[in-house]
Amino acid sequence: MKRTSAALALAAALLAAACSSAEPATKPAGPEAAPAATTTTVPVTTTSTTVAPPATTTETVSPLAAQVSPIGSAAYDPAEHSNDAPVPTSISIDEINVANAPVVDVGVEDNGDMELPGAEAVGWYRYNAIPGEDGSSVLSAHISYNGTNGVFRYLSDVEPGDVVTIGYNDGSAGAFEVVEVAQYDKQELPLDRIFDKDGAPVLTLITCGGDFNSSLRSYEDNFVAYAVPIDA
Amino acid sequence: MKRLVAVFAAALMILAIAAPAMGQAAARIHLIHGIPDTPVDVYVDDAVVFENFNFGDTQDLSALAGETLVNLQVKLAGTDTVAIEGGDVALPASGNYSIIANLDAAGTPTITVFANDTSAIAAGEGRLQVRHTAAAPAVDVKADGAVAFSNLSNPNEDKADLPAATYSVEVVPTGADEPVVIGPADIAVNDGDSLIVYAVGSLEGETLTVLTETITGLGQTPTEVPSGNSPVESGFPMSAVVGMAIIASLAAAGGLTLARRSN
Repeated sequence: MKRTSAALALAAALLAAACSSAEPATKPAGPEAAPAATTTTVPVTTTSTTVAPPATTTETVSPLAAQVSPIGSAAYDPAEHSNDAPVPTSISIDEINVANAPVVDVGVEDNGDMELPGAEAVGWYRYNAIPGEDGSSVLSAHISYNGTNGVFRYLSDVEPGDVVTIGYNDGSAGAFEVVEVAQYDKQELPLDRIFDKDGAPVLTLITCGGDFNSSLRSYEDNFVAYAVPIDA
Repeated sequence: MKRLVAVFAAALMILAIAAPAMGQAAARIHLIHGIPDTPVDVYVDDAVVFENFNFGDTQDLSALAGETLVNLQVKLAGTDTVAIEGGDVALPASGNYSIIANLDAAGTPTITVFANDTSAIAAGEGRLQVRHTAAAPAVDVKADGAVAFSNLSNPNEDKADLPAATYSVEVVPTGADEPVVIGPADIAVNDGDSLIVYAVGSLEGETLTVLTETITGLGQTPTEVPSGNSPVESGFPMSAVVGMAIIASLAAAGGLTLARRSN
């Protein structure tokens, strides 16, 4: 029994390590994690009678063991609750004459709309990714606000290959390359893509465009430019 | 430890009865070990399911949803000492549950089953669910100095949807400012996530601490991105003097030309 116990405990520990590597706030567990997950699936998918070779007693492994998986520790991890990552404070896009425009963090209006600053700043949606982190980092600025050109007045002129530079409050900067531009009817805006919290890092820049509806004081469309990090 | 046997069985039977009748979604059933210093092995039908289950560890039982665990036994780790005789336990086919092995208010090991609130959370908010599963009297939970949850006692829970932010949380006896029995600790309530915080351990045994689990993907996106409220045709350059309409219009035309990309 002891040897089986040890083997299973080891398998469980390895599986736990592999699972814990998926935690967002945890560094990847390294090359040993993936093979461990692979090897642990082998014994549990065989029958309980053939899994016993190392054991010298009659103890058997339940077939249910293959369906139960450890998912790491529930222990409180201060690192998952720290809030000291650098946040964006400026944006530059040379091709449309945006030079160190201020970026401020914004949230949600009472009516559910994304909050936006005035004409002269860009709003970073604080509930999505920081630029460069996994998921979509959403920055929006007006095309025109109260009769004044907004920072993203010419966002629709941005083309794939253009470079977007983000400055952070720790003095660092990150460069992104535009890979896709799109114009969407506001009724068909792909909100789940734009506000995706998972997946590869993408910088999502948004403004308005298309026809202006004077009675609603609103545009019919949104312009969106997607940019990905340029490897340093 | 013996008393753990009966309570565990009772709690799991309740869980079985509580299976939602209309659930079509896949089940999510997590088992959390919330008793300090008590590693165990878990057996079903005289065969080991998992071993060396330690304080803080979590097991995902979701794949067993709808199955009956025949002759569930929990043994002290590495021994044949049966700590829990669970009997036959039918797990629900669907729903979202957390099962925690914990101490009751008096310090006796027990099992508590919680149905998790997975209802949608408004954009910009996160859900905080606090559960008293510790051997300790009733408490108040303070967030940033103000009482957020009052008079919470074992084995009860309270919850709220809060603006997503990081809060400094501390736990004090009900109605008191001190002693602070847990914390202060930073608790990040993230947009669209439900953060479940368990107070566990024993006040007397000086093992009070918290365990956490997170249910993600409950949030919503903003509904619109209103990034323009005036037509660009009448847009003034930022330097325009308000009121000089004609001059401003001419300046705007010039501004547009200058600002446009040259290629």
